[in-house]
Amino acid sequence: MLHQNLEWFFPHKVEEAVKLIEQQGVILHGGGTRILKTSPKSIKGLVDVGRLNLNYIHHADNHFSIGSASTYADIIRYSLKTNKLLILAKALSEAASTPLRNRITIGGSLKDFPIWSSLYAPLLALNAQIEIAEKHEKILSLEEYLDSGMIKTKHLIKRIIVDDIPNIIGGVKRFSLIRFEYPLFTIAVVLQVKQKTVSEARIFITGVKGRHKRCKRAEHFLIDKELNDETIQQAEKHFAPKFVSDYKYSAEYKEHTAKVFFTDLLHELKGTLK
Amino acid sequence: MKFPFKVNNKSKDLELLPNETLLHVLRNNDFTEVKCGCNEGECGSCTVLLDGKPVNSCQVLAMSVQEKEITTVKGIGTLYTPHFLQKSFVEAGADQCGFCSPGMVLASYSLLKENPKPTRKEILTALDGNLCRCTGYVKIVDAVEMTAQKLQTNNLEME
Amino acid sequence: MFKYVNQPIEKIDGLALVTGEEKYTDDFSFNNMLYVSVLHSGYAYAKIIDIDDSEARTMHGVVEILSYKNVNRILYTTAGQGYPEPSPYDTLLFGKTMRFVGDNVCAVAAESKEIADEALKKIKVTYKELKPILNLEKSEGSSIIIHKDDGAFPKIPVFYDAKKNIASKVEANVGDFDSAFKKSSRKIELDFYCSYGSHCAIEPHASVSYLDVRGRLVIISTTQVPFHVRRIVSHVAEIPVSKIRVIKPRLGGGFGGKQEILLEPIVALMTWRTKRPAKLVYSRREVFKSTRCRHEYQTKVSVGYEADGKINALHLDALENAGGYGSHALTVLANAGSKTLPLLNKIENLRFTGMGVYTNLPVGGAYRGYGATESYPAYAQAIDMVCEDCGLDIVEYYKKWCIKSGETSAIFQALGEGKEGVAMTIGSTSLVECLDEGAKLSDWYEKRKLYGPNSDFNKGKRLKRGIGMVAMMQGSAIPEIDMASAYIKMNDDGSFNLNVGATDLGTGSDTVLAQIASEVLDTPVESFIVYSSDTDFTPFDTGAYASSTTYLSGQAVRKCVEEIKKQILKVGAEMLSLSVDEVELNDSRVTAKENIKEEVSFADICQYSLYQKNQFQIQATASHISPKSPPPFAVHFIEIEVDTFTGIIKVLNYTATVDCGTPINPVTAEGQVEGAIVNGLSYALFENYYFSPHGKMLNDTFGKYGVYTAFDIPPMKVKLIKSYEETGPYGAKSISEININGALPGIANAFYNATGKRLHSGPFAPEYVLKVLSEK
Ligand SMILES: Cc1cc2nc3c(=O)[nH]c(=O)nc-3n(C[C@H](O)[C@H](O)[C@H](O)COP(=O)(O)OP(=O)(O)OC[C@H]3O[C@@H](n4cnc5c(N)ncnc54)[C@H](O)[C@@H]3O)c2cc1C
Ligand code: FES
Ligand code: FES
Repeated sequence: MLHQNLEWFFPHKVEEAVKLIEQQGVILHGGGTRILKTSPKSIKGLVDVGRLNLNYIHHADNHFSIGSASTYADIIRYSLKTNKLLILAKALSEAASTPLRNRITIGGSLKDFPIWSSLYAPLLALNAQIEIAEKHEKILSLEEYLDSGMIKTKHLIKRIIVDDIPNIIGGVKRFSLIRFEYPLFTIAVVLQVKQKTVSEARIFITGVKGRHKRCKRAEHFLIDKELNDETIQQAEKHFAPKFVSDYKYSAEYKEHTAKVFFTDLLHELKGTLK
Repeated sequence: MKFPFKVNNKSKDLELLPNETLLHVLRNNDFTEVKCGCNEGECGSCTVLLDGKPVNSCQVLAMSVQEKEITTVKGIGTLYTPHFLQKSFVEAGADQCGFCSPGMVLASYSLLKENPKPTRKEILTALDGNLCRCTGYVKIVDAVEMTAQKLQTNNLEME
Repeated sequence: MFKYVNQPIEKIDGLALVTGEEKYTDDFSFNNMLYVSVLHSGYAYAKIIDIDDSEARTMHGVVEILSYKNVNRILYTTAGQGYPEPSPYDTLLFGKTMRFVGDNVCAVAAESKEIADEALKKIKVTYKELKPILNLEKSEGSSIIIHKDDGAFPKIPVFYDAKKNIASKVEANVGDFDSAFKKSSRKIELDFYCSYGSHCAIEPHASVSYLDVRGRLVIISTTQVPFHVRRIVSHVAEIPVSKIRVIKPRLGGGFGGKQEILLEPIVALMTWRTKRPAKLVYSRREVFKSTRCRHEYQTKVSVGYEADGKINALHLDALENAGGYGSHALTVLANAGSKTLPLLNKIENLRFTGMGVYTNLPVGGAYRGYGATESYPAYAQAIDMVCEDCGLDIVEYYKKWCIKSGETSAIFQALGEGKEGVAMTIGSTSLVECLDEGAKLSDWYEKRKLYGPNSDFNKGKRLKRGIGMVAMMQGSAIPEIDMASAYIKMNDDGSFNLNVGATDLGTGSDTVLAQIASEVLDTPVESFIVYSSDTDFTPFDTGAYASSTTYLSGQAVRKCVEEIKKQILKVGAEMLSLSVDEVELNDSRVTAKENIKEEVSFADICQYSLYQKNQFQIQATASHISPKSPPPFAVHFIEIEVDTFTGIIKVLNYTATVDCGTPINPVTAEGQVEGAIVNGLSYALFENYYFSPHGKMLNDTFGKYGVYTAFDIPPMKVKLIKSYEETGPYGAKSISEININGALPGIANAFYNATGKRLHSGPFAPEYVLKVLSEK
């Protein structure tokens, strides 16, 4: 339960918001869906991001710029309209539920990073960058953001930047038996293919031990190979994420199924190549 | 504390505490048509529309939506002036215990307003946040399809 | 043939439901109301050494705290069943022994819910932890005794042995199973495990109480059994029945979960003691952990048969996990036998053995299907195995061997609810038509030809398809035990107040009962002001369970309205100066048989009877008990696809043909079928309780438990195939429970058809399926 003397702030400027969250116990409020679950009594103030003009999706200079106050639904709608950001939109359209997707923000989901995140795997695979508003503004890759431990510090996320690279193919797959179930894991694969040959590969999985993992061995294996049945069969051997058992599924089952899903995904991608 | 809100097209001062969810605030202010099945964002019986889009009101802190238009199921139609979508629900038999109905009606309303000719898949997606344990969903989906049909044959728009 | 019955009449509460106008329990609030929170045990098995609530009591806003310290020790059963109940008296509202994680420790009433919750944290409970039993197979005769020296006793003379942890025991024999089994040339055995399950009615349990102006206690509650609530609250809270009124407002689903008296005595005591209104609403987590669930079951079927498929002997054995208390432990068990074994009534040697044991896990209770859900997976797979082994088509097999009209099964008499059963001959059945029609609708024969474990279609494939089927029966009400009654009176304008004790859980029974009344009086459904489930104003009804409402309460309504019809005809005849034989009912009028133009309207009749001559109130009441429990029948055909790499089963098509006699309202009846199928499917494929090593349920939210959304349902075909049940209202039987039973056995049989392997444990979660597939 949040404290009933909680104070609310509705700044109109990012700088104001950044200042406000310097106070102890004051944090940002995006959609609020996570804050409500964890809702520690120690929170004294909430700074709403709703009026910071961070709800936008732009396309310019060969990249997409997604404001952190955009919701999952905003991105899906944008994608439907423009036929862009398809990989990301597909992943998000399977997340949570229609009414929640209308509330969950990109900023809150990046900062929070739940194990069932639908956002991280595709963004990491797309090599997205994240812009942080601090005293010194900075843009860093999402991978760095995680690996440097930056995610654990208090800050305001302004936007996400995704390059619009023409000849990539990619996809996501998540494991959940029914629609409204927290997914066990999400795999995202993004490949650049030139003349049938894979020239670049980024493969990420979330939901694993340590939350996320870049599958470098599989990436290395795929590069410079033609994406055919044999390659895919071989690639599976280089994809070995580690999981933790939970009450429903053993780690072995998850590992096994992740491999199956990975191969399925590669087959699907192969199918998109003409 | 009282704060101004817009509910069902009317301005209304709602009594609330800053840590309360929209669900609690609405129910405490006599909007008991908004139901609580789980309080965790996992059943959709608390669905309301915020600026026309469905959200789980139990997952929304009330203070954060003061400037938005809030619509409960009574804002779509009442017992005395029911919306034809609500009539379709009754006609199709989509109303068993009715606990999920306010949420289902709002989710369907928002869908049809944005997309008057939804495919079956689009209907199923639009309802994916609303649990119903009574109907098995068949007649609820029927009700939405029936309404879409009514829109088309009578050249109507959702309002 | 019928005018109002068998018509898709819209639900009389429909518009009020979909416009949010209807009130559910939590929608009632009163001035000066207290909010109640309950502290539940975190231990599976523990003794409370002491409760120190001194700090909580001094908290601002805390008004009352109930625990074993100030609540009398009165044994009862939380099961809302006929009295004396067949469930053992083994429960205390607040005891000193905690028998499962979720058991009641104490309750706080405070000025707000927040304060009540805060106060719970300030209550210091000293426990002595005991070693629990967390495995149903280890309970019987264990050195750990769950109800030890607590005085628990059976209310009716049945076998009960708390010292051995046995909550219930049932045995029935027809013929001589042992020797017939021994003599049989072929034998199979199959065991099957059924998991825990939660009803997941979307409305959580809630109760509100207050004192009326004369100091009587009024309880508004989410209950399927208002009259049992009144009786049990009176017993537990020591308040005379005359001082209690129980009202069931709209109910947000029940499925058996609200056939249990859990919250009502707590609010009752709070209000009785403080003289203030009190409200208790359970959180979803509390509903999962602390209320009742589907019993866990381990069943086993042994069949002795011949090469031509003739079954000589069949034994069904069931081990039931009652959990910490024995609510419904006996009757669910008995139904596991009585709702399956009569289906193939030509088997001469039948044996049913069952035992319910205590464990320190959540408490079982009534749940749609009531034992049949738990026994059909083993039973129907065994029949499938016999047919596979003998090379017989199972549809034809059922047609040949199933119970037919005019036939009986000795099981009906042998297996009752806590006593002998009631002998019964089948009247209505369209089971054979259901089998034929279902086979047609599902393309059974084509698909059976196409699929099969060694078919070209499946051989060497990752995705394998199969189709399976199951035929089922259930019951309609508990014969010679359940009673329903109705009261009707006529108003000036020709409308009627129809007051029934029956409880509409959302099933539409208020509408269905009005339709029956309409049919008798030939007047529209709108003429009836239906008021149900209020112990002050409606006559008695045992409640909504055992698939009884349409069949039993419907017949009470019919009788009652027949009675008022006589009075209307008499007054009408008097007004027309004719004899009663010379008049008839005709579209809300009484008309002369000879000349339809000679007429008096219902309105005129009532005004005459109230104001003009020989004045009296046209009114009637009637009660009904049933001498039998005519089974509805259903056949389900399920087509699936198994991903042999991941173990994920996808249901491709679901076809159900159902015999419920006359469907009084075909739309609401279909809704019952569809709802039950979807619940059955999710139970078959993933619903389960997962426990920590200490017996704590881990997946206690909808998101973790898993409930189907609209997005997940397979294509379904549902067809009602009429029969006419002479003992039911206008030929009706029940429909609400039976269709939840088909998914587990139907999918299991389809799985065999796809893979050649048998499933032995529900739910058919992918990891388990993969394990089965990898077995040699
Ligand atoms: C039932 C349910 C199911 C779900 N299923 C899924 C799923 O399948 N897939 C999925 O991806 N997600 C899912 N989610 C969402 C996920 O669990 C989080 O709740 C969500 O991502 C948080 O987003 P928010 O905008 O509501 O964040 P908030 O709750 O507002 O904030 C979360 C954290 O981020 C901080 N924060 C907010 N905005 C910013 C910002 N701009 N910059 C820096 N920090 C910020 C806050 O201070 C807080 O610490 C589900 C949620 C629920 C309730
Ligand atoms: S009450 Fe809000 S989603 Fe269930
Ligand atoms: S009608 Fe009961 S939950 Fe949907």
